[in-house]
Amino acid sequence: MRYKVLTVDDSKTVRIIVKKAFKPYDVEIIEAANGVEGLAVAAKESPDLILLDVTMPVMDGVEMLTKLKADPALKGMPVMMLTAEGGRDNVLKIAKIGVRDYLVKPFKEEVLIEKCGRIIDLKPITEGPAKSKSIFDPADVLVLEDKPAIVQQISEGLKHTPWKVRGVASQGEALDVCTRTPPDVILVSLSLPEETAFSFFRILRTNVKTKYTPVFALVVKTETQQQQQAQAMGFSAIITKPIDTADLESKIAKAMNLDTSQRYYTFENDCLVMRLPENCSAPVLAEAAHYLKGKLTEAVDAGQNKVVIDIHHLRNLHMGVIKLLFQAMQTCRELALQFALVGNAQIISECKGFEDTRGWTFYETLEDAKANLGKSAAAPQLATAGV
Amino acid sequence: MPAIVEITEELIRSYINRAVGDVFKTMLGREPSAVRHGSSPNDPALPTIEAHRPQVVGTVGFVGEINGLIYLHLDLAFARICTCHMLGMTDAELDEAGDDVINDAIGELTNMTVGIFKNGLCDVGLPCKLTIPSIVRGSNFVIEPISAATRHIYYFQCENHRVVADILMQRDE
Repeated sequence: MRYKVLTVDDSKTVRIIVKKAFKPYDVEIIEAANGVEGLAVAAKESPDLILLDVTMPVMDGVEMLTKLKADPALKGMPVMMLTAEGGRDNVLKIAKIGVRDYLVKPFKEEVLIEKCGRIIDLKPITEGPAKSKSIFDPADVLVLEDKPAIVQQISEGLKHTPWKVRGVASQGEALDVCTRTPPDVILVSLSLPEETAFSFFRILRTNVKTKYTPVFALVVKTETQQQQQAQAMGFSAIITKPIDTADLESKIAKAMNLDTSQRYYTFENDCLVMRLPENCSAPVLAEAAHYLKGKLTEAVDAGQNKVVIDIHHLRNLHMGVIKLLFQAMQTCRELALQFALVGNAQIISECKGFEDTRGWTFYETLEDAKANLGKSAAAPQLATAGV
Repeated sequence: MPAIVEITEELIRSYINRAVGDVFKTMLGREPSAVRHGSSPNDPALPTIEAHRPQVVGTVGFVGEINGLIYLHLDLAFARICTCHMLGMTDAELDEAGDDVINDAIGELTNMTVGIFKNGLCDVGLPCKLTIPSIVRGSNFVIEPISAATRHIYYFQCENHRVVADILMQRDE
C-alpha cells in the first residue's frame, strides 16, 4: 500500500523540501497551498498524513484544522503541524484541537521523516528493477555484545566474506552507529543487562532508517524463554551460542536477500560450473537446489551448452547430495545440455558403492572435464529416474 | 502567562542572533556570525545597508501585543545560493525555474527567521502572530520606517556574504 501525505503550505519551497525529504520512500506527496485547498484535497484523496502550516492566505492552518476535526469523514486523519508558529501558548492551543505531532520550522529533513515515520509506515523504495546484492558485495554487520570474545568469534567466522563486522558494547554506541550509517544486519545479545536487547529492538523498529533492518538475537541455547520472547517481538532470527558461524553466514545472507548462487554456480568461458562445497548440509543443498533450474536455463539462454558438476571438494557422499546431482543431471538432459562430473578419489570410490551412482563417470580435474565435454562418453548415464 | 519583560536592545539582539543562526544552520548548513557594530539608527557609526547591489529582501511581520516587521536583506548572488541549497537545485535549474522560486525560498527563510524571533516575544508575554511573507527586489533603494517605530539593524557575515536583519517594532499601547 502506497501512503499519501498531503502537505498544506503556501510556500512552494516548503512543499518542495517535503517532496525531497520523502523521495527515498514509497509515499505519494499531494499538495495544497492554503486551508481551503487543503480541505478539498483531504476530502478527495483521503491522505494518511497531513502536514499543515499555520500562516497561510485564504484560510490558515488553525481554521483548516478546526474544520477538519469537525468533519466526521475527515477527523480521523492524522495531522502534523509544520510551521514557524512555535510560541508556547499557540502550540498548546493548536495541540488541543488535535494534532499528532508538531514540528517547528526551521526543520531538518531527517527529523521530518523520523517524526512522520512514527505515524505512517515509511518503506524505502529502490529505483528501477533492483539488482540483487550478491555474497561478494560488501555489507555492514553490527554486533551489540558486551563480551569481546563473541564479537571476535563472529569476526573470525565471517572474515572470508566481504562483510565488515563491527562490535559495540553499549546501546548508546549502537544507536550512534545506526544513526550515522545504518548497518545491513544487526546482531544483539539477549544477555545484555536490563533487557537492553529488547529496548534496543523497539527503538530500531520505530526508526525509519532501521525499521526494516534484519535484527538477530544472540542467545545461549538453553535460554528458551528469552528465545521465545525474541521471536514474539519479531527478531529476524535467533542465533544460539555457541555460534555456528556457517549457519550465521547463511542466515545473514538470507536475511539480506543476497544472491548466493555464485557460491555454487559460475560461468567460466563457455561452460557453467556447478560446484558443491566440502560440507553439504541440508541448508547448503537446499540453497544450491534453489538456483539450479534458473542457472541451467540462464546457460541455455546465453547460448552455452556445457555444464561441469564439480564435487571434488566434497568430503562425503550422502543421499541429499545424490538427489541433488540426479536433479542436476536430469535438468541438463531436459535442456539438452552436455555435462561432466569432477570428483576426488574418495567420492568416486563411494559412488561405486551405490547401485544408482555406480555408472557415473568422473574426471579428476575441471580442465579434463571441460576438455572432454562434448565427447559422447562424457555424460554419465542416469541409472534410474530418481533415487 | 509569563510576566512581560522589558524589550531591551540586548534581548532583541539575542533573539535575532538565535533566529538567524538557527535558520541558516538548519536550512543551509551555514553558521553566520554577528558583526558587532552600532545598531541604533541614530548611531553615527552605523554603516548604511549596502543596497547598491541587486538585493532580495524578505519581509515578514508580527502582529499582536507587539507589532513589527523584519526585513532580511540578502544580495542576489547569496539568495541564489541559499535557494539552490534549500531546494537541491543546480544553478542552471534555478535559471530555468525563474525568480519566483528565489522569492519563495527567501520568503520562507525570512518566515522561519521571524518565526523564531517572534516565538521568543510570545514566550515572554507578548503574544503575536506572523504575517504572510513578501519580497522586495532591486538595488539602490532605501527602507524608511515611520517615526513611531523603533528600528534595530543587525549585520551577519555568512562566509563571504553579508546578511542584514532590519527590525522595526512598535509596542501596542
